[in-house]
Amino acid sequence: MTALSRGARALFLLGAAVFFGLPLLWLLLAPTRTADDLTTGSPLGFGSLGNVGDAWSHLTSYNDGQITLWIGNSIIYAAASVAISLLLCVPAGYALAKHDFAGRRALLTLSIVTMILPPAALVLPLYLEMSALDLTGTVWSVILPLSFYPFGVYLAFLHFQANLPDSLLDAGRVDGASELRLFWSVAVPLARPAIALIAFFGFVRCWTDFFLPFVMLSDDRTFTLQLGLMSLLQSTGAVNNSSGFADLDIHQPEAALAGLVACAPLLIGFVLAQRFLRTGLLAGAEKG
Amino acid sequence: MKTLTTPRPPAAAAPAPVTPRRRRRPARRAAVWILVGPYTVFLVVFGLAPAGYALWTSFVDNGSFTGGHDWVTVLEDYRLGDAAANVATYLLLWLPILLLTVLSLAFTLHARPGRTTSALQLVYYLPGAVTGSAAALLWLFMVSPDSSPFSPLLKLLDVHSATEALSGGSVIAVLTVMGVAVHAGGWIVVLYGALNALPKDVLEAAQVDGASAWRTMWHIKLPMVRTYVAFVLISSFASGSQVFVEPSVLSTGAPGQISPTWSVNQLAYTYATQDGDFGKAAALSLAMLAVGVLAAWIVITRTRMYATDSSDSR
Repeated sequence: MTALSRGARALFLLGAAVFFGLPLLWLLLAPTRTADDLTTGSPLGFGSLGNVGDAWSHLTSYNDGQITLWIGNSIIYAAASVAISLLLCVPAGYALAKHDFAGRRALLTLSIVTMILPPAALVLPLYLEMSALDLTGTVWSVILPLSFYPFGVYLAFLHFQANLPDSLLDAGRVDGASELRLFWSVAVPLARPAIALIAFFGFVRCWTDFFLPFVMLSDDRTFTLQLGLMSLLQSTGAVNNSSGFADLDIHQPEAALAGLVACAPLLIGFVLAQRFLRTGLLAGAEKG
Repeated sequence: MKTLTTPRPPAAAAPAPVTPRRRRRPARRAAVWILVGPYTVFLVVFGLAPAGYALWTSFVDNGSFTGGHDWVTVLEDYRLGDAAANVATYLLLWLPILLLTVLSLAFTLHARPGRTTSALQLVYYLPGAVTGSAAALLWLFMVSPDSSPFSPLLKLLDVHSATEALSGGSVIAVLTVMGVAVHAGGWIVVLYGALNALPKDVLEAAQVDGASAWRTMWHIKLPMVRTYVAFVLISSFASGSQVFVEPSVLSTGAPGQISPTWSVNQLAYTYATQDGDFGKAAALSLAMLAVGVLAAWIVITRTRMYATDSSDSR
């Protein structure tokens, strides 16, 4: 490789890093600055940590601390959906990988179709169904559909198929263990990393989901953080001052801080679990 | 494991190999249904039933058959043409740029893997953590010349305010940039992984034969990962055609600039909530669902990216 092409390569990779990284860097820095500084100062200055505290106290005083309610909701919905989806996915993936039964092929194919299908494609049909059942507006209209997680089944299926030898199960059978006991005492303990991976991706999906709760929920006390962020933008004009409400203490730094809080769990997760992430993506990443 | 790689024998084929796991006993069958039963219920209730119920709703109103009336009125709605044109334009702009970004970065990274490779992949991937309303919020700031770190670029493009950046056709440009920033990273990781898994001897043979880095990429690596490229393209087409969140949230930052029925899914949402017309909402969302299912079907049957049976090797 010539020096010229090496330079061009480095320049290209760095240019891309600027495009992808700069917005995030800005988002990290913005809450440390004041609204005035954000519009007049240099785009990437650092203010002070005190400003972050101020921005946070302005945020929490918005509608009597509604933001903490939204954070709590997001955590509850995600935790409940992930817990239920694990209870469903892990046994199903195990049975699909280790047992032959009538309808196995159909179940696997349907799971893969619904997994590749963009989640948004089913949201409105789900809304119609939930309206018919009179469940719209309840937490169940969000938690239950999110608990159906075919990608988790597929990950569990791949894991058990590749990593759990039949001989191990057969040995257990010879010792007289029942099928359920084999699943619980042999398969599950060996699958802990895979279960953690499914939980991680399931959490990412629930935490970032917007369309489903947006359609199902109307009372802002039941909102997730993602929805709350939108209603915050709508009612304060933090980004675009033309919509009035300038008397509220929600300006650019507060909005940026709220946005940062909304994606902080994922940013931290992505940095800490890089190897994990790669495994999941390569297993045929589900794209939102 | 021998039993893992043995293809499942067809039911009526010559003597089936007798392995313990193929013998069916009532106790085992009960256990299997305890294991898959709950998930199957969820698959039916939240995967299949919504589609079936939507089909019913689009043809039946208050117990009487409406004979496709809803489908016709949807097709005649002038807003559908506009929405479909918006989505098509967005896809035509976004898909090639996304693919080019993903391919060029994955190949450039793979041409000379080094210590910075995984750090760069992380930087490219991280914007994937900022999705939905947080992404819209962030990009509203990015197109506001007052606060954006890209303000010199915005001045060059003659953009004076966020409202201006989101008016008329330029909203598609903003959506495209957002879409590339959010989605490219994940695909770069996938494609880089695929490149890493290519047989080393083939690439070495090319090097020995004196193929340039460019020729190796164009004539050897690219053909070998073409199913991945097709996978990226079809999946992105499927998710892009459903676009809903980004235009709805962006419109809160610049009121009046983006139509509430900008995309097809937004129109279906308007039918369901604003108009309260479930029949039309059902018809239109079913049409969009069909697009998604078709794309999923192509991925499964053509790219063979997913193992549908334990005998398929991945």
